[in-house]
Amino acid sequence: MRVLFFAHLKDLTGCAEIRLQIGAPASADDVWRELLALHPELALVRGSVRLARNLEYAGPNEQFTDADEVALIPPVSGG
Amino acid sequence: MDIDIQLTRGRIPEPLPIPVTGAGTAGAWIEFRGVVRGEEEGLPIAALEYEAYEEMAVREMRRIVEDLGRECPCLAVRVRHRLGVVPVGEAALSVGVAGRHRNEALALLTKFMDRLKHDVPIWKPRALALANPPGGVRPPSAPGVEQVLARVRAGCRPLEAERVALRDAAGRVLREVVCAPEDQPPFDRSAVDGFAVRLDDPADEFSIVDDIRAGDWRPRRLQPGTAVRIATGGALPCDGLQVVMKEAAQLDGARVRLLRRHSSRNIRSRGEEARAGQALLEPGAVLRPGSLALLASLGQVQPLVTRRPRVLHVVTGDEIVPPEQAPQQGQIRDSNSTLVRAFLGSFDVEPAQLRVADDRAQARAAMGDRPQAVDLLLVSGGASVGEHDFTGVLLEESGFRIDFRRTNTRPGKPLIFATREDGALAFGLPGNPLAHFVCLNLFVRAALEKLAGLPERNFFSTTVLAAEVRSDGDSRETLWPARVKVAGGCAEATPLPWCSSGDLTALAAANALLHLPAGCPVLSAGAEVAFASTLTPA
Repeated sequence: MRVLFFAHLKDLTGCAEIRLQIGAPASADDVWRELLALHPELALVRGSVRLARNLEYAGPNEQFTDADEVALIPPVSGG
Repeated sequence: MDIDIQLTRGRIPEPLPIPVTGAGTAGAWIEFRGVVRGEEEGLPIAALEYEAYEEMAVREMRRIVEDLGRECPCLAVRVRHRLGVVPVGEAALSVGVAGRHRNEALALLTKFMDRLKHDVPIWKPRALALANPPGGVRPPSAPGVEQVLARVRAGCRPLEAERVALRDAAGRVLREVVCAPEDQPPFDRSAVDGFAVRLDDPADEFSIVDDIRAGDWRPRRLQPGTAVRIATGGALPCDGLQVVMKEAAQLDGARVRLLRRHSSRNIRSRGEEARAGQALLEPGAVLRPGSLALLASLGQVQPLVTRRPRVLHVVTGDEIVPPEQAPQQGQIRDSNSTLVRAFLGSFDVEPAQLRVADDRAQARAAMGDRPQAVDLLLVSGGASVGEHDFTGVLLEESGFRIDFRRTNTRPGKPLIFATREDGALAFGLPGNPLAHFVCLNLFVRAALEKLAGLPERNFFSTTVLAAEVRSDGDSRETLWPARVKVAGGCAEATPLPWCSSGDLTALAAANALLHLPAGCPVLSAGAEVAFASTLTPA
C-alpha cells in the first residue's frame, strides 16, 4: 500500500510517502505496527493522527489492503 | 444544491462571482473570507504556508456541504481555499453561500467553518511548527542554513592529534601552542654593513680593533676611540653601541673616519621579534608556508597537528554510469564522484569511493565493513523520496543515528546528517550536482573544519547584487550560485542562471553561494545579500 505523510509528519519521518506490504487485509492496528517498525518516531504522534483510506477517514473496523492509498492525517488547521 | 469547491495556488477572486440560481430564488448571498493575520502564536509573521491532501480535502468539503445541506437547505455553495504561501492580509479561504433566506445561509456557513477546521485535511505547516502538538512533544521543524550549520558543528568533535614531520605538515591544523624557545633574535645584531662605535664616544676618527661577520661570536668591551667593523647580521660585541653604515664612513687602512652620524642605531635588538616563552602560533592555526618556515626557524620540526580524516564516499543509483562510459537511454554519467573527490582534495583528503546499485543487499555487500573504519561517510543518493529513504537505511545499518533528514534550504532539502557513537559523521547528499555543490561547500565543509580542529567561523559576508534575483517566493531559504567579483574597488555578486538543481553550467562558473532568506521572492540589483565563497575562488 501507499502511505502518505503530511505537514509535520513529513518532517518527522523525513519523507512524504512510503510503500508498505501487508499481504492479507489488515486492521488499523496492523498497519500501525508496520509503520512503527519503519518509523518508530511516529509513536510520538500516533494518538493525534487519524488514518484515511482511499480519500476517506477510516472507521474503527476498517480493513486495509495492499491496493489502498493510506494517509496519516495529523490535526488539521485549514481556513 | 449547486456546489463548486476548488483549491488554488493563486489569489482568490474578490469578491467571488455570485452563482446564478433560479430567477428570484436567492434572497441572501453571504460571503466569508478568512484572511491571514500578521501574527501567529503571538509572533509576528509575514505569511502562512498551506498544504493539503488535495483530493481528499476537496472530497471532504463536498461531503460536509452536502451533509449540511440536508439540515440547512441552501441554493449554492462556493469554496476556494488557497495552498502554498499566503502573505499577511490576503485571503486563505473564501466561502460563499446563496440561500432563500439569510438564516439558513448563515447557519450553513458557520457549521461548515467548524467542520472544515476539524476534518478537512489542510494544514499550515509553519504554524504547526510553532504550536504545541498533542503529547507535549514539539515536532522538529526543518532546519535552515544557520541551524543546519549549528547542528552539524554540535555533532562533531575534533579528531585526535599526531606529530608529523614539517614536510608533511603543510595544510594541517596545529593543535598546540608554539612558543619562542629563546629571545628572537637571540642577541643584538647589526642591521647594516658598517662600523660599531660607542654611543657616548663623540670622536669622528677610530682605530678598527676587530672585524665581525654573521656567525662570529666575539664579545669585547669597546674603548673610546676604537671601532669594530661589522657585517649585517653580525653579533654586536657589547651593549651601548651604534652601527654607522659603511656608506657614511671613509676607510683608511686600520682607521675609519665617520662622515655622518645619525641617531639611528642600526641594531636589531635581542627579543625584538619575540621574547623567550612568548606564544608565536596558537592551536587552530593552519600551517601554511609562512608558519612552517617559522616552525623551522624555532627548531619545531615535529609539530602536533590533527590527523587526516578517513572518508568513504558511496554513490548510489541504478541509473549512474562511470563518466568514461557512454550512458544508455535513461542513464546518466556520474559527476558527483568527481565533484566530491575534487572538493575533498582542497582539504588534502583523499576519499575511498564506491558506486553501488539501489539495492540494499548489494549495497551492503559492496560496502562490507568499510563504513566502520571511517570518520566521515558521504552517501550520494538520488533526489527521489525512495532513494532518500534508501540512504537513511544504509546509514542506520552502518550504526549511525540520524539527526535530521531534511532541511528548509533549497537546494539540499532532503539532506541527511547522522552521527555515530565513535564520533563518526555521515551525510546523505541529495543526488543532483548543484545540491551536492551547496551541501559540500557549506555543511560538509563545516564538518571537515570542525573535525580538523579549526575554530568555528561565519561563512557568510555581505555583498551587493549586480542583477536581480528571483527565488519564486519559496518558503525555504535559497542558496543561489553566483559569481562574486571585485569591480571598481567594490565586490558585487552576479547571480548565475539556474534552471534546475541538476544544472551543471551554473556550477562550473560559481565561486560563491548567495543566501536568500525564506519568503523573499525578489531581490533587486543593488540590494545587499549574504554570500559564502566556495572553495575554488577564481
